[in-house]
Amino acid sequence: MNKQRKFSIFRYNPNTPEIKPFMQEYVLEEVPGMTIFVALNKIREDLDPSLMFDFVCRAAICGSCAMVINGKPRLACKTLTSDLKGTITLMPLPVFRLIGDLSVDTGTWFRQLSLKTEAWIHSEKKFDPEAVEDRMDNRIALEIYEAERCIECGCCIAGCVTANIREDFLGAAGINRVARFMVDPRDERTPKQYFDVIGSDEGAFGCMGLMACDDNCPMQLPLQSQLAFVRRKMLAYGLWGK
Amino acid sequence: MNYTTIITDVLVVGAGLAGERAAIEAASHGLDVIILSLVPPRRSHSTAAQGGCQAALGNCAMGEGDSTDIHFNDTVKGSDWGCDQDVARLFVETAPKAVRQMALWGVPWSRVVAGKKVLPDGREIEDKKEKEGLITARDFGGTAKWRTCYTADGTGHTLQYAVDSVVIRLGITVHDRTEAISIIHDGETCLGVVARCLRTGELRIYLAKSTVIATGGYGRLYGASTNAIINEGTGMSIALDTGIVPLGNMEAVQFHPTGMVPVWILITEGARGDGGYLLDKNLHRFMPDYEPVKKELASRDVVSRRMIQHIRKGLGVDSPYGPHLWLDIRHLGAKHINTNLREIKNICMNFNGIDPVKDLIPVRPTQHYSMGGVRTNIDGAAYGLKGLFSVGEAACWDLHGFNRLGGNSLAETIVSGWIVGRKVADYTRGAELNYSYSLVQGFARKQQERIDKLISGLTGRENVYEIRREMEQTLMDYVAIFRNGPDLQKAVDKFQELHRRSQKIGLRSGGKWANPELTAALRLPGMLRLALCISYGALTRTESRGSHAREDYPKRDDVNWLKRTLAYWKEGADLPELRYEPVKITELPPGDRGYGESSASAAGGNKAN
Amino acid sequence: MQAHKLVTRNPRAELYYDLVELLTGVMLVGFLWTHMIFVATILLGIDVFDALSRALDDYYLSYTGIPIIILVFIMHVLTAGRRIPTRYQEQKVIWRHAKMLGGTDTWIWVFQVITGAAIFALASIHMWTVITGWPIRAVTSADRMHAFWWFYLVLLLLGEYHAGFGIYRQFVKWGWFPRKPLGYVTKMITAIILTLGLAALWVMYKLGGAV
Repeated sequence: MNKQRKFSIFRYNPNTPEIKPFMQEYVLEEVPGMTIFVALNKIREDLDPSLMFDFVCRAAICGSCAMVINGKPRLACKTLTSDLKGTITLMPLPVFRLIGDLSVDTGTWFRQLSLKTEAWIHSEKKFDPEAVEDRMDNRIALEIYEAERCIECGCCIAGCVTANIREDFLGAAGINRVARFMVDPRDERTPKQYFDVIGSDEGAFGCMGLMACDDNCPMQLPLQSQLAFVRRKMLAYGLWGK
Repeated sequence: MNYTTIITDVLVVGAGLAGERAAIEAASHGLDVIILSLVPPRRSHSTAAQGGCQAALGNCAMGEGDSTDIHFNDTVKGSDWGCDQDVARLFVETAPKAVRQMALWGVPWSRVVAGKKVLPDGREIEDKKEKEGLITARDFGGTAKWRTCYTADGTGHTLQYAVDSVVIRLGITVHDRTEAISIIHDGETCLGVVARCLRTGELRIYLAKSTVIATGGYGRLYGASTNAIINEGTGMSIALDTGIVPLGNMEAVQFHPTGMVPVWILITEGARGDGGYLLDKNLHRFMPDYEPVKKELASRDVVSRRMIQHIRKGLGVDSPYGPHLWLDIRHLGAKHINTNLREIKNICMNFNGIDPVKDLIPVRPTQHYSMGGVRTNIDGAAYGLKGLFSVGEAACWDLHGFNRLGGNSLAETIVSGWIVGRKVADYTRGAELNYSYSLVQGFARKQQERIDKLISGLTGRENVYEIRREMEQTLMDYVAIFRNGPDLQKAVDKFQELHRRSQKIGLRSGGKWANPELTAALRLPGMLRLALCISYGALTRTESRGSHAREDYPKRDDVNWLKRTLAYWKEGADLPELRYEPVKITELPPGDRGYGESSASAAGGNKAN
Repeated sequence: MQAHKLVTRNPRAELYYDLVELLTGVMLVGFLWTHMIFVATILLGIDVFDALSRALDDYYLSYTGIPIIILVFIMHVLTAGRRIPTRYQEQKVIWRHAKMLGGTDTWIWVFQVITGAAIFALASIHMWTVITGWPIRAVTSADRMHAFWWFYLVLLLLGEYHAGFGIYRQFVKWGWFPRKPLGYVTKMITAIILTLGLAALWVMYKLGGAV
C-alpha cells in the first residue's frame, strides 16, 4: 500500500476575478518514482479536469513547468514527490503574469528580455553559402554553450528579491544572456553597447548579491560567476572605457 | 457573432525550428508573417533534440572523405528506399550550407580539436591541425562517416535559440498559446485557420495568403513516447480534416532504441555514437551478434527490432514496467560523460536516481518520430490546396521514407525551413487573398458549435482521458515495432469504436475559458483519425520496410510496395481512404541496406507474397 | 543642451553608486575590525589601552580619522540605502518573498536592511557620546560601558553582523572568491572579532563597576 500524499494547490482564474484566489487540497496515492508532473496529470485526469498547469518536454529541457514547490522555485517535471516532506504546496511563479492556477506567462516576459538585451548576434558579416565556416576554438564554443544552456524557466527571476520589487530588472537570466554574447567572438558589439544595455540598476548593478538565482537554477548554471563577470566588465568599461 | 480577424501574408502554425526557419525566410523577403504556437517558441520540442544535425562537412578525422553523395546514400538506405530521391539530393546538398549559416547566427557548434585520440574500441584517430576550429561531427546510426554536427549535449536547444533570436531580431509576430483548430479553405485555396486562444479560450480567425503547417509529430498518440506532451499531431489532423489534403506514409513510425524506462525520456543516440553498448540481462553485449558490422549503430529501426527480438528470447531484464535492456556508457569515463553527455547524466540522475558514470541505464525502444505527415511536393506545397505548405516533422516532404536517420531531423528542419520558406515567399508574392466573408465566418462558427456542444454536456458522458488512454495503449499493443494482420485489424476496430465514442465526450469541468479538458476534448477525435491512418495504412501495407515491420510479411516487397501511402479523410467517414503514388527513384535503385534482417534477401526485390 | 544634460542622468551614475557602496563598505568594515582590535587592547591592561589612545591622538590619527569615517559612514548610508524598499508595497513583497523562499541569503538581506538602519541610529549616538566626552581613556570608556552595556552589546552584535555579511555579499557580487569558502572565512573572522569585542565589553563593564 502506497502512502497518501496531500497537495495544496493555488487556484485562481484571472478571467473570473469575482472568485478570489484560494488553496485547494487534493489527496493522491504516491507511486514509486512519482514526480510533480505525474501527480498533476493524475489530479487533472482523475480529480479535477479544470486545473491549469504547463508541461512540455517533461524532461527538464524546455523550462515550461517552473513553479513554487514548498516555497522553492523548481522545475515540476524533475521534482520527485518522495523528496518532499508533508503537504506538497504548489504556487505559480511570482513576477510573471498569471494565466491561471499554476500557469504563468514566462514566454512574453522572456521575449521582452531578448528585445531589451538585443539577445542576438550583432554582426555585419554577410552569409556566403559557398564559404567554409569561420574557425572557432572549441574552448570558446564550450564557454558560449555554458551560458547558452539557460532554458528560460524563470526560477532565477521568481527567487530574486530585486526582480520581485523592480519590474524592469533583467535578473540573472538576462545578465547571463548578455554574458553569453560577450564571450562570443562573432558578436561585434562594443563594451559601450553592452554598458548601455546592462550598466545600470536595471542590469548588473541591480543585483544585491543574494544569490537566490544561483541556489535555485535547475540547470546549475554558474550564475554567481556569470553575474560577477558582467559586473567586472561593466566596471572596466565604466572606469577605463574598455 | 463576429470573431477577431487577423490578416497577414504568411501564417506559420508551429514555432519549432522548421516553422521559425520558414518564417524568417518569408519575412526576409519582405512579407508580413505571424507565427502561431501552442507554447513559447523556445519551449518547442525541437529543443529536446540533443544529439546533432547531419551535414557532410567532412571536417573531423572520422568524417574525412565524406561527401553529399555518401550522405545521400546513407539517407536513401536508411529510408529503406521509401524516400523521394529528388528531395534527398536537394537536402544533402543544402545541409552543409544550412549548418554554416547557423554558425553565423550564433550556434556554438562543437569544433575540431587537433590531436590523436583513442576511441572506446581501441582505434586510434588523429584530427589534423589544418582542420582545427572547424565544425566537428560525431558518429550516429546508419551513417558511413562521422557526420553529425553537434553542440555538446544541446544541439536542438542551441539551434532553436539561435533561430528564435533571429525571429526576435526581425520582429516577427508570435502568438503563443494559440492552437489552430481548423483550416479555412474554399476547396481550392487555403485561406488561413480558425485558432483557439489557450489563455482565454476565445476563437480567432487568421487569414493569410499562405499557411505553413509546422506543428511537429504525433508521438503522444502512443503511450510510451520520447516526445514532448504537446506533440499530438494537431497540424496533421487539421490538414486531414479538410478532406482534400492527404497525409503521406502515416504507418511509418520510428521507435528510438533508447527511451529510458519507465519515464520514456530519450537517451540520445550520441550515447551509442560516442561508444555506448547495449547489454542484456547477462551483461552480454548482444548487438554484434546480430549486426556484426554496424553493431549498436545500425539504423534505429534495425536496432529497435533487434532489441525486441532479444527481449523475446527471454534475455531482457525484468522490471515492474516490463522487460528492458541496459545501455552502458561507463567505459566512456567521467570526464566525457560530464561534458559531452552531461544532459544524459542529468536525465539519469533527475528522473531515475542513477549515475551513468557508475550505473547501467535501463532502456527500451520507445516511440520517437513520425516519418509521415502532410504530404507535400519538393517545394513544401501540400497536395490538394493552393497556399498550404508544410515543413519539418509535420510534413511528409519525404526525406525519410520508412526510417529516418538520427541527425537528419534537425538537419531537415533548418534545410526545409530555408528552402520551403523561400518557396512560400515566391508563392505569396504572386498571390492574392480573396475570400468570402460568410465562408470564413462559417468555419469559425462550426468550431464554436463543437465547443458549445461539448460545454453543454448534452452529447454524452464519455470521459476524454479514458478514451485517450485506450488509444495510447492500443497503439502500443498492436501498432508498435512488430506488427501483424490480426493485431492491426484489432487496432483498426478499436480506433473506430473510440472514434465514435469521442463524438460523445461529456466534460466534467465546465469547459469555460482556456479549460484544459476542453482543449483535450477538441483534439481527441482528430488524434483518433490519425491513429486510424496509422493502423489502417499499416494493415494494408503487406510488406516490411524500414520501421514498418510485419511479422506476417517480413520481406521488403519492391514489386508491389515501392509506393507511398496517401490517406484522405472524407467528412463523416469512419476510415481513411487510402491511395498510393510511386516513390521517385532517380539515383540509387533499391538494394541492400548493409544492415538489418531483410536487406540481404530483399536485394533485387522479394516475391514472398 | 544644458537642460538636456540636466534631465538625462549620467549613464554611469549607477556604476558609481555601486562602487561607492563597495568602497565605503570595505573601508567601514576595515575600520570596524581595527576599531574592535584597538578596543580589545583593554584585555592587555588599562595602560596599554590608554597608551594606544594617546598615540593615536599624538599622531593626529584620531582627529583626521574620525571625520573621514563619519564622511564614509554617511556616503555608505546614502548609497547602500538606495536599495532599501521605500514603498510599503515593496516592503510587503520582500517579507512575503523571504518567508516563501526561506532562502538563507534572502533573510540575511532583510536583516542587513534592519541592522543597517539600526546601526545608523546607534552608531550616531555612540559617536556623539565619544566625541563630547573626548579624549578616549579607559576610565571614561569603562564608565560608559558599565552604564550602557546593553546599548554596546546591541551595537556590537548588529555591527559585526552587518559588516560580516556585507563584506561577504560584496565579494560574492564581484566574484573575486567562490561563494561557499568565502562565507566560511567571513563567518570565522566575524566570530573572532565578536569574541574579542565581547571580552573587551566584559572587562570594561567590570572596570567601570570598580571605579
